[in-house]
Amino acid sequence: MEQLNNIGASLDFYIFVSIALFSIGAIGVLTRKNMIVLLMCIELMLNAVNLLLVTFSTFFGNGEAQIFVFFIVVVAAAEATIGLSILIMAYRNSKSIDIEMFNKLNG
Amino acid sequence: MDAVIIIFITGLIGLFVGMLKKSELTLAVTSIGLIGGFISMFLINDYESIFSTYAGLTFSRTQQMFALLAIGLTLLAVLMGYVYYKEEDEHTADYYGLILFSLTGALCLIGFSNMFMFFLGLEILSIPIYVLVGIQKGNSLASEASVKYFFTGSFATAIMLFGIALIYGSTGSFDLNEIRMAIDMGMSHSPMLNIGVLMMMAAFMFKVGAVPFHFWGPDVYQGSSNAVMAYMASVVKLAALFAFVHLFNFTFNQLTPFVSGLVLFAIIVSLFLGYISALKQTSFRRMMAYSSIANTGFALFAVLNQQFGEASLWIFMIGYACSTVALVTINMIVEKDTDELTNWKGIGYSNPLIGITLVISLLSMSGIPPFTGFFGKYLLLSSAFANYLPFVVLAIIASLIGAYLYLRLMVISLSREGEGQKIKMTAIQALVLVLCLAGVLGGWLVLLIK
Repeated sequence: MEQLNNIGASLDFYIFVSIALFSIGAIGVLTRKNMIVLLMCIELMLNAVNLLLVTFSTFFGNGEAQIFVFFIVVVAAAEATIGLSILIMAYRNSKSIDIEMFNKLNG
Repeated sequence: MDAVIIIFITGLIGLFVGMLKKSELTLAVTSIGLIGGFISMFLINDYESIFSTYAGLTFSRTQQMFALLAIGLTLLAVLMGYVYYKEEDEHTADYYGLILFSLTGALCLIGFSNMFMFFLGLEILSIPIYVLVGIQKGNSLASEASVKYFFTGSFATAIMLFGIALIYGSTGSFDLNEIRMAIDMGMSHSPMLNIGVLMMMAAFMFKVGAVPFHFWGPDVYQGSSNAVMAYMASVVKLAALFAFVHLFNFTFNQLTPFVSGLVLFAIIVSLFLGYISALKQTSFRRMMAYSSIANTGFALFAVLNQQFGEASLWIFMIGYACSTVALVTINMIVEKDTDELTNWKGIGYSNPLIGITLVISLLSMSGIPPFTGFFGKYLLLSSAFANYLPFVVLAIIASLIGAYLYLRLMVISLSREGEGQKIKMTAIQALVLVLCLAGVLGGWLVLLIK
């Protein structure tokens, strides 16, 4: 009970940290050029979501959201695997991992 | 639930059958699995199974209709792609396995009743598609399309998850019914809830490919193969649109004024931008991508109609998806090295079946009665008529531009210039064309049964 009250007092703090992490990730995705950095930024966004869910879960006192976090972790792993394979394939075709090099399709 | 399990296990079996390197056998196993899934989904309310008690995945009457449509369209996409897949018999099973896994996700996304199933469905639907788009390993256009789709898709997923987390934070539940009850009890002015809904909406716009988040669509469609594009333009779009409409009509329906303004903006911009950009394209797949953006705009009218939105969307999607699959099949038959529209010259005279399917699909897409496309557009627009009259008028003007686009393609394909060219069409492709034709001509008859 003590623990819950502590969380309640600083709930805003956790939400702000999570929003900050999410924004750093989002800005990274929108501004960076290197595809590996983009993947890392997307992972950062997903981890911000995990932090937010765990915070709310502790605040409400039910474990539902913590189960959701496990799902997100598993899916993020699958996504990272697929993302790295796609990245390797793209690198073999274009010899570059700069996202700006991929401009053949347009119009 | 049984249908989902049958389809998933068929995908696994198909991967093992693929080791025998007999593409006919893989096709047969996949088709039988799909037909089995279709039957079990059709009979879902008539028998009790041990899986039917799981609450996260329940199929109401409407959801059952959407699931049947998704399975049927997948069968069409699998059959039409066979000619293309069998050329590489090393990898035939990969295509079928990935398409069936993706369909598993589509069914989860259609039958979801809490956010767990929704998120898992969306991811199981998307991840195999990232792979399928880039499956031609040596092709640099395909890898570029795959990279673009992967990054935009995962970015949208992250935004969607943050929205889900904020909605959980304000309502305290992942269950759609409980979220709806919390909103009814006066949560609708909570800023956290509204920001969460806004983020989910932005991510949905990404997934269905509506303006302002449509930019990946044309690139991805052009870079992928015809067979994969037919699946993406029909089943993926159907499942994502249904989830969008279901979530916003059923759960967030108390937030209507705030939601409807944004949706109306997306509809009108999608319609005009989609059709006008499609006019200047020379690549067939790129043109179909812009046309699909515009059709998404039409389909989003279903979000504004809480009573009959889902039923109208069903009729609209059967018309749109059958026409699209038919046109992509024809493009696959006529395609030479590139998918330029000049390949289509005179194709209407080469074979009576191709000529008839082409003309009827294009008429249905332009919204001319008595084809299914007309009834879909009519139902969607008539429900919005009372409240959003100026927007309905704008939508009709946009659909005239669309009619010009489709009739222009018809003029190209019926010109006398390229007459007499020889084309090769297999029996399976002919079967797909006949089935699509049946959908375009008779899809609206479902209205009479209801």
